[in-house]
Amino acid sequence: MKVEKEIEKIKEKLHNSIDVTGRIVKKNDVLVGFVYLKSITDNLIFSQAIFEPVSKWKGEFSFETLCQIVEANDVAEIEQNEVIEKVLKGSVVVFVSNSNKILAIDIQKYNMRTPTEPPTSPVIMGPREGFTEDMKTNMTLLRRRFYSSQLVFEQTEVGSTTKTQVILAYLDGIVDMKIVKQIKKKLQSIKIDGVVDSYYLLSLLSNRPNSLFKQIGNTEKPDIVAAKMLEGRVAVIVDNSPIVLTIPFVFLEDLQNSNDYYTNYIYSGFLRVIRLIGLLIAIIGPGSYIALQLFHYNILPIKYLITIADATQQVPFTPFIEILFISLLFQILYEVSLRLPSYLGLATSIVGALILGDTGVKAGLISPPSVIVVAIAKIALYTIPEQSAQINVLQFVFLIIGASLGLLGLIGGMIYFLAYANSIENYGAPYLAPFSPFILGDNKDGIIKVPLSDMEKRPKSFKTKNKDRNDG
Amino acid sequence: MVRDKNLNVWQASILLFILLFANKILVLPSLLYEGANVEAFFIPVLLFVLEMGLIFLYYKIKTKFPSQSFAEILRARFGKIIAKIVFAFFMLFFFSKAVLLYNVTYVFFKDLIYKEADSFMFLLCFLPIINHLAFSGLRVMGRTAQLFFPVVVIITLFCIVVGIFDINSNPLFFETTASAWFLTVIKHTASFGDAIFLFVFMDKIDIKKGQWKILFSLSGVAMVLVVAVIVVFIFSYTYTAFMHPYAIFEIMAYVKEYGGLGRIDIISMIVIVIFTYFHLAIYLKIFMSSFGVLFGRISDIYGVLSFNFLFVLIVWLLISNIESAVFFGERIATYLSIFSFIIIPFVNLVLLTFKSNERRRE
Repeated sequence: MKVEKEIEKIKEKLHNSIDVTGRIVKKNDVLVGFVYLKSITDNLIFSQAIFEPVSKWKGEFSFETLCQIVEANDVAEIEQNEVIEKVLKGSVVVFVSNSNKILAIDIQKYNMRTPTEPPTSPVIMGPREGFTEDMKTNMTLLRRRFYSSQLVFEQTEVGSTTKTQVILAYLDGIVDMKIVKQIKKKLQSIKIDGVVDSYYLLSLLSNRPNSLFKQIGNTEKPDIVAAKMLEGRVAVIVDNSPIVLTIPFVFLEDLQNSNDYYTNYIYSGFLRVIRLIGLLIAIIGPGSYIALQLFHYNILPIKYLITIADATQQVPFTPFIEILFISLLFQILYEVSLRLPSYLGLATSIVGALILGDTGVKAGLISPPSVIVVAIAKIALYTIPEQSAQINVLQFVFLIIGASLGLLGLIGGMIYFLAYANSIENYGAPYLAPFSPFILGDNKDGIIKVPLSDMEKRPKSFKTKNKDRNDG
Repeated sequence: MVRDKNLNVWQASILLFILLFANKILVLPSLLYEGANVEAFFIPVLLFVLEMGLIFLYYKIKTKFPSQSFAEILRARFGKIIAKIVFAFFMLFFFSKAVLLYNVTYVFFKDLIYKEADSFMFLLCFLPIINHLAFSGLRVMGRTAQLFFPVVVIITLFCIVVGIFDINSNPLFFETTASAWFLTVIKHTASFGDAIFLFVFMDKIDIKKGQWKILFSLSGVAMVLVVAVIVVFIFSYTYTAFMHPYAIFEIMAYVKEYGGLGRIDIISMIVIVIFTYFHLAIYLKIFMSSFGVLFGRISDIYGVLSFNFLFVLIVWLLISNIESAVFFGERIATYLSIFSFIIIPFVNLVLLTFKSNERRRE
């Protein structure tokens, strides 16, 4: 094998990128060539465990010698067509001139943050570690929770250009293998140039990608993923993403919170009821307020009616325009505060909430009840933060329905969206299970939660191999 | 797809539960009182007994032909023509009920809330939703109804309990003649007979052995609740029923305000709206299904388009006031009730004499 030629070939294939490094060592008449990407390999390990033993070797050198003297763990003989892939994934590829065999030594290393509490899921009680962008760390975080032979990791690749590594994690003997097969099939059918984050797969793996509703679970917390895997779900870990997806997904999962499992079950049930009320207020609150003002004022108690009439009589806009204006103002402030640096975010809040709101009311452009209604509805959006985007859209839809069609429209709208949600099934799991279809056993961890000791069965909302939690 | 899948016994029972309220909790009680005074409360009891008989016939036929559709059974035993005639009646019967129901609900809301709204707004409220529900399929409809089921049961019970505490009149019994009573029964038979919807979707309902009690129990509960609403209304408004014709709403509208809660009549409106949406959606689904039997396996879209076109046309021609609704209900629809209480039971009794050509499925 002509070592120089091989190294040049690889450099050419990688467009002579500056981080492609090629080195040659001459041992008697034998040339030993090393190719690697210095941007993603551990230079210390390369020099101490690979380069030094080779350069210090006295005697006849062959491919077999190389295999013996290299002091690295992840060593494999590879084919010619795998060379580029291995180099790109952080291996050192070694050629020996008196042999046609090629050796790949995995010494991938790059700087990664350590597992910290995820900003999207802060906890009061329970583990504070979160997934990171490093797939191996994420696998470790899961492996640490299952000292069991049942935990299986399967690897695949998605994206013609990025060749992103995707890991499927599941518990053998618990998960229904048909679901695993379905996910694999879906992953293989994905035609895309790149997957830069797991959120790409969120829609690509959904059965109805055009739907407003989220159909795949996502979390940054390993304890949540572990709990879901124990229920028979499959976790999808995507390289370079701290978000791990879980499949199948039902709406109820977002109503649940990891804190629910670390506090008293009665309190957890109470909190879930509050979340559900929050959800209802967020979706139909502003729409109902307008419907009451425009169509059903005669059913309001007289005292409330007088208060609202007093507050709104000076407002020059119609109730719909008024609420829409306040909602849009809130939305703009929200978008600005997300993108601005934190020190400016505070100033924006003061300007938005205090100055604009207060001055708007004093100027008579908006009424205090409308500000209160929008504020409550917008705060209530975040009782289920995972679904806040969808709820926000629905809030605007119901605002328009309430203003144009009143109570009839609001109830009709609810029926429409619930029917739509009911028509969604993900990997065999009805979206609104266990409420519709009503599954009694699954309601033990529904709106009302029973103690953990009473949850002896795995969910029936989707198929699992083993329904009994006390039986492996 | 979810839309092509079958209903389980709970979902079917809940749809039947909801359907049994159709046309009975708004204007009907005051019309019954007008014809039969206080003794009117016994009319729904009698007609519900007959309706229970229809459900029992369904049980017998379904047990005998567990996997066949009603159309297939009719075709095999009576021929294509008879099957088509029966399903044409199904279409006509439920379409009339849809028009009648819409008429009554429209007048109710127009009278009380949407005084300035035109009929187009109501169509805009109802048609997209019922089309969506019917198009999504029976299972989606059943699942969605399952979500609203506790709401309608709790509200209806609440209305009944509140109404019972508000009864303060002393009704006079035995002032109605037997002929007047029977005439009222005949006039309003069309408001009953919804249980025949079970026959239309016979093969789409999965009922295992031992699950029949769910269907019978929920139907029984629905019937008791409807009778209770009618009784409470009649006993509360013995002399003013003609002034307050909207039963479940009136029960709530004139009760005392409940502390800090204020007026609570809105909850009766909520239940009326929920019922109406589901009733119309089920009627449309029956229309679509019957349309398929009549015109072969053509796309559902033609059934939906036909229903929408005819519905808008009839509503445009007919809907104007409570009088036209009453006229339609008492005169035109009455003749169609022969279908639900005579023809269908007769056909089924004949079918029971035939031998089943399929093995029993447990």
